[in-house]
Amino acid sequence: MMSPVEMPAVHEPWYKYGIAVLVLEMAIAIAVSAYSLYMTFNGLGGFPGKH
Amino acid sequence: MNSNKVEQLVIATVGFFWCFLMWFSTAAFSPSIAAKYNLSIKDLGLLASSAIWMAPVGRIVAGWASDRFGAPRTFACILAGCGAVSIASAYTTSYELLFAERVIVAIAGVSFVVGIQHVAQWFDSHEIGTAEGLYAGTGNVGAGVGALLLPRIFGTDYHSAFLWLGAIALAIAAWYLVRGSAAKTVERRSAARRGSDWRGTIFVWSRFIAIALMFAYAMSFGLEIAMNAWLPGYFTRGFHDAILGLGFSGVAGLQIAAGTFAAVESFNASLFRPFAGFMSDLFQRKGWTPLPFIAKELPYAPRLHWLGIALILITLAMAGLTVAGLSGSLPWSVAVLVAFGIFLSFGTGGTFALVPLLFPDRPGIAAGFIGGVSTAGGIVYPLIFASSANIHMGYFYVALYLFVPFVLFYFWAARYERHPEEHGLFESGLAGQEA
Repeated sequence: MMSPVEMPAVHEPWYKYGIAVLVLEMAIAIAVSAYSLYMTFNGLGGFPGKH
Repeated sequence: MNSNKVEQLVIATVGFFWCFLMWFSTAAFSPSIAAKYNLSIKDLGLLASSAIWMAPVGRIVAGWASDRFGAPRTFACILAGCGAVSIASAYTTSYELLFAERVIVAIAGVSFVVGIQHVAQWFDSHEIGTAEGLYAGTGNVGAGVGALLLPRIFGTDYHSAFLWLGAIALAIAAWYLVRGSAAKTVERRSAARRGSDWRGTIFVWSRFIAIALMFAYAMSFGLEIAMNAWLPGYFTRGFHDAILGLGFSGVAGLQIAAGTFAAVESFNASLFRPFAGFMSDLFQRKGWTPLPFIAKELPYAPRLHWLGIALILITLAMAGLTVAGLSGSLPWSVAVLVAFGIFLSFGTGGTFALVPLLFPDRPGIAAGFIGGVSTAGGIVYPLIFASSANIHMGYFYVALYLFVPFVLFYFWAARYERHPEEHGLFESGLAGQEA
C-alpha cells in the first residue's frame, strides 16, 4: 500500500556512513548475543564481563 | 552558525554516551561499595533504584531548558554538574554522603532529551529517524559498556573510576560548549525559544498524539529499563532447574546465566535502535502505510504506521514471553526474549523519529514530556510482574490491561488526516497556541 506522501529523498554524503555505523552496531549485537548465548547454553560462562 | 550537522551529531552522541556511562557507573561498582560499607540486600536495592529517581521530572525540566537556553548550554551544565559531583564522590568516606552524591550524578540520565532536541534542530525530516537513532542507540550503549569495562579497568577501585569519569565529563562539557551549536538556522533556534513558555508546555502535554507517543515510549523504553531490573530475578526463579541443568551451580552460577539473558535483551534493544530509526526513514521514503485507521495523508504518516507496527510487535512479544515461560522451555523463552529486545528498539527508535516532526517548534518540551513521564514504566511494570501469582503471567497481564489500551489509544490519536497536534484535552487556542 503506497501513500501519496511518497517523495524522492536525496541523501547527503553523511547518510551512507550513518547506515554503515548502524549495520556495524547490529552486527556487534548479533555477534555478542550469539557468543553469550552459546557460552551460557553450554554452561561455559555468560555475557562478556560476567564470567 | 559555523558548524556542520555531523559534528553536532558526534558531539551530542559522545556527550550522551558519557552521561549514560556515569548514570550506570554506580551499579557497576555496587558489589565493591556494598563490601566496603557492609550494605544489606535492602540497601543495595535502594542504591540500584536510586539511579532512576531523577529521570521523570529531570527530563521534563531538561527538555524545557534545551528549548529555552539551547542544547549546548544545557548539556554542558549537566555534564559539568554531574562530573564535578562524581569527582567529589571519589573522595567521600561517608556512605550517606556517597549515596546522595550518586543520586545527583544519576541526573546525567536526563541528558537524553537534550541531545534529542539538539539533533532535531540540525537534521531534516527525511533523515531524522536515522540521525536520532544513531544518537540514542549509540549513546545508550554507554550503560552496557560501563557494566562491561569499568570493573575490568578499575577492579574494585570505584574511587578512581568516579574520579576519571567526572574529569572526562568536565572535558566533554567544555568541548560541547565550545563546538556545540544550538540549531542549524537562527530561525529554528528562535522558534524553539519562543515555544518554550508555560503555554507551550501545557499545549504539548495536553495533545492526544503527545500522550499517545508517551504511552508508546512507556511501552518501549519504560519497559526496557523495567526488564533490565526484572529479568535476572525472573530467570533465576522461573528457570531455576533449567539453568542448573546447563551446568551452572550455586547462586553465582545462576546470576551469570540469568544476567546473560537479561544483558542480551538490553544489548539488542540499544544496538538495533539506529536500525529502527532507519526503518522509519525507509517507511517514509517508500510511503508505506499498511495499517488501518491510522492517517495515510499526513506528511509523516508512514512513520506513524511503522511505530504502530512496533507497538503491536511489542504487545505480541509480551504474550509470547508468557507462553514460552508457561511451556517451561528455556531456549524458547530466550529466543522470544531476543526478538522482544529488537522489537523494543523498534518502539524507541520509531517514537523519536516522530517527536521532532510533530512538534518542530517545541522539540525539547515534547521530548522531555515523552521521554520523561514514560520512564515511570520502569517502576510500574516490575510491581505488576511481581504481584502475579504465576511468575510467567505478569507479561500477559501488562500486555492485556495496559498495552492493548495504549495501542488502541495510539490508533485513535493517530487517525487525524490533518494536524493531529490540534486535537487535545482542550482546544489548542485555550493553551494560547496555534497548532
